[in-house]
Amino acid sequence: MGKTKRKFDKPAFLFIAPAFIFFTLFIIVPTVSSVYYSLTSWDGISPDIKFIGLANYKEIFTSARFGNALKNTVILTVFISIFENTIALGLALIVDNVRWGKNFFRSAFYIPVLISGIVSGFIWKIMYNYNFGTFNAVLGNLGLDSWKQDWLGNSSLTLIMIGIVLIWKGAGYYMIIYLASLQSVSTDLIEAAQIDGASPWQRFKSITIPLISGAFTINFTLSLINGLKVFDQINVMTDGGPGFTSETLVYLLYKVGFNEGRQGFGTAVGIMLLFIIIVLNTLQQKFLRSREVQM
Amino acid sequence: MKKKLLAVILSSAMMAATLAGCGGNADSAPADNAAQTNTEDGAADDAAVDNAEAPAAEDGAAEEGAASGDSIVSAPTELTYIFADGDEGAKASMNEIVNKFNETYPDITVTIEPGNGGAYSEFIKTKDSVGEFPDVMEMRDTAMYVRAGKLEPLSDDIVSLFTTTTAFDGKVYTAPLGGENTNGIIYNKAYFDENGWTEPTTYDEFIELCQKIADQGDMAPLVVGGQDIWHMGFWFHKAYNDQVLSKDPDFIKHCYEGSKDFSDETVKATFEEMKTIMQYAQEGWVSTPDAQITTFLVNDMAAMMYSGTHMFSQISQADPEFEMGWFPVPSPDGKTRLVGGGGVGGLAISAESAKDPDKKAAAEAFIKFFYAPENYKIYCETLSAIPATVDKPDLAVLDVFQEVIDANETADDLAPMWNGRVGENELPPDFRNFMYKTLIEVLQGTRDIDSACDELNKTWKVSMESFNPITGVGIE
Repeated sequence: MGKTKRKFDKPAFLFIAPAFIFFTLFIIVPTVSSVYYSLTSWDGISPDIKFIGLANYKEIFTSARFGNALKNTVILTVFISIFENTIALGLALIVDNVRWGKNFFRSAFYIPVLISGIVSGFIWKIMYNYNFGTFNAVLGNLGLDSWKQDWLGNSSLTLIMIGIVLIWKGAGYYMIIYLASLQSVSTDLIEAAQIDGASPWQRFKSITIPLISGAFTINFTLSLINGLKVFDQINVMTDGGPGFTSETLVYLLYKVGFNEGRQGFGTAVGIMLLFIIIVLNTLQQKFLRSREVQM
Repeated sequence: MKKKLLAVILSSAMMAATLAGCGGNADSAPADNAAQTNTEDGAADDAAVDNAEAPAAEDGAAEEGAASGDSIVSAPTELTYIFADGDEGAKASMNEIVNKFNETYPDITVTIEPGNGGAYSEFIKTKDSVGEFPDVMEMRDTAMYVRAGKLEPLSDDIVSLFTTTTAFDGKVYTAPLGGENTNGIIYNKAYFDENGWTEPTTYDEFIELCQKIADQGDMAPLVVGGQDIWHMGFWFHKAYNDQVLSKDPDFIKHCYEGSKDFSDETVKATFEEMKTIMQYAQEGWVSTPDAQITTFLVNDMAAMMYSGTHMFSQISQADPEFEMGWFPVPSPDGKTRLVGGGGVGGLAISAESAKDPDKKAAAEAFIKFFYAPENYKIYCETLSAIPATVDKPDLAVLDVFQEVIDANETADDLAPMWNGRVGENELPPDFRNFMYKTLIEVLQGTRDIDSACDELNKTWKVSMESFNPITGVGIE
């Protein structure tokens, strides 16, 4: 078996070239140049860029604000990864098993996905409003005034309230992936188990769950990434507040980089976020892939 | 396994790059800008507020060139102009003045470009980074752009039009659009009259009044738009002015020098004063945006708000029948300290644009035209802005606005906001927001005052490593 000499495939190269050039120019080059900017004290406008070594990274490790943003990011990511997937799986099971109106329910659950993050943030912000919002108005009408809350102003509730919006907006998308996976589960296996006397829960736990584990891997990866990069809703609903309660890493990156004229520090936060994503994503992939069942 | 690892890294990199890649590119800034203004002598060390009190420019001087038929430019010239157009009043008045200017100077065309008022600072920064820095603009982050050599010093005949201007090493770069927005209490006059309450003349009387309204229970004494942290800055500045600046106007400078820090008793007293005042704010104040506070006032949900004169037109539009009253809140020591005078922001000319003599002449003519009393009147009346010019326009304004103008004349102290100062008292770029957010934590009870002071000290120390006008770090 001699080595086959690979020929230069000109048409293939021409097809790949546009995407390759754009990807390199707009993704790879900015990413690599970000590493340089993270070592400077650049304010974002000045033509003079001063190299300051690892000072930005030193500040990151000593800054309580970064620690707080990291904590908030982790809480929000874990919260939405768990509940978004649980609810999405529930919705997928409903749609998969419902006898009539399957298309209606599938569309209804998917509609929030089509609404932009900014718009969904505004809608929920109005509903959460203490004085004029839907939730407190309903509670007031039900005579439950003592249950009224400053939903976005109460530090212990803010992240949960933002998480609920993210789940509402994202669950429909994950539902579609679960649904596609559920529909690919062989009915033969389910029926065989049914004949063997397995209960619905046993069938779900021992047959359905292992067979849709690929969907779990995809959905948990996506919800992890979405949780780590959440920005729109925080910007619209709380501006990172009250205080620093809902300031996440991406929001911190934006605020210091663009609002506070510290592009160098903001970029360093971005680089740190890149490493956090790589580490978490690798761990998660390792864990979830090991549980997948190959058919 | 290698493929998997590569896939993980690439997918992570793609996502993070979309975030981190927002960093922009310094190379996109015109390279020769750096040479235009020497940032060394543009250092803010010697910046000071000039009390120019110079003689007024002759009436109609701005239009002399056009009126006499001698063109001030050698060829038809176009200028781009950007301002923070978030406010409808600003948009309408600017359009009117620009249209008048274009008619008066047929060989100069000023074109207004959209200004994205909601995030104006970021917008200007973006315009700069893509090589579209305007010829004339409303400038807010003056110190940063002066240091970057992006702005052209204004000529003496423009500077002399104003009562106060802010100089950087003897050079003035901005023509103040108005006097600093004077904050005070805007209140429901009909409600006060019904209850026989009068405007308080001391701080203690103000607190007593708040307590009376709270005891009455039919509306909140104060409405506060705490979700917008800049709104919190109105109240914070008042308390900080009362407690810190009244005792040490150079407190920030002393913090840079290390002779003082934020554990100072005066800073603690600032937090205490804020706690006293904010107990009278409406329920849910922390999640109430500034845009909603007018609704509270005109719908009898709150009796008073503490804000600037820009609220007068908003309140009148929301309810033309609403009877407004206004009073300043005195300091605990009995003095009246107000935000006022010309600030560091205002109209500015691009240094790059000024390299073209025609553009420079046109830009200067536009600024002079803008501040001619008959034109400046349009702006001041629409935005309830306190005139910053020596030659004051004859304003037809609401009684409450006249009260503010009068209070500016009689105040014991008139100064810009604590975060609007330049030179040795200029704050590090991120410190204002950190202060306001920490303040909210204290007011919500999630942090005590001592811990807040510790956090402020830690953040100050880190901020000083990248910005310190005393040592010049971050200035050069």
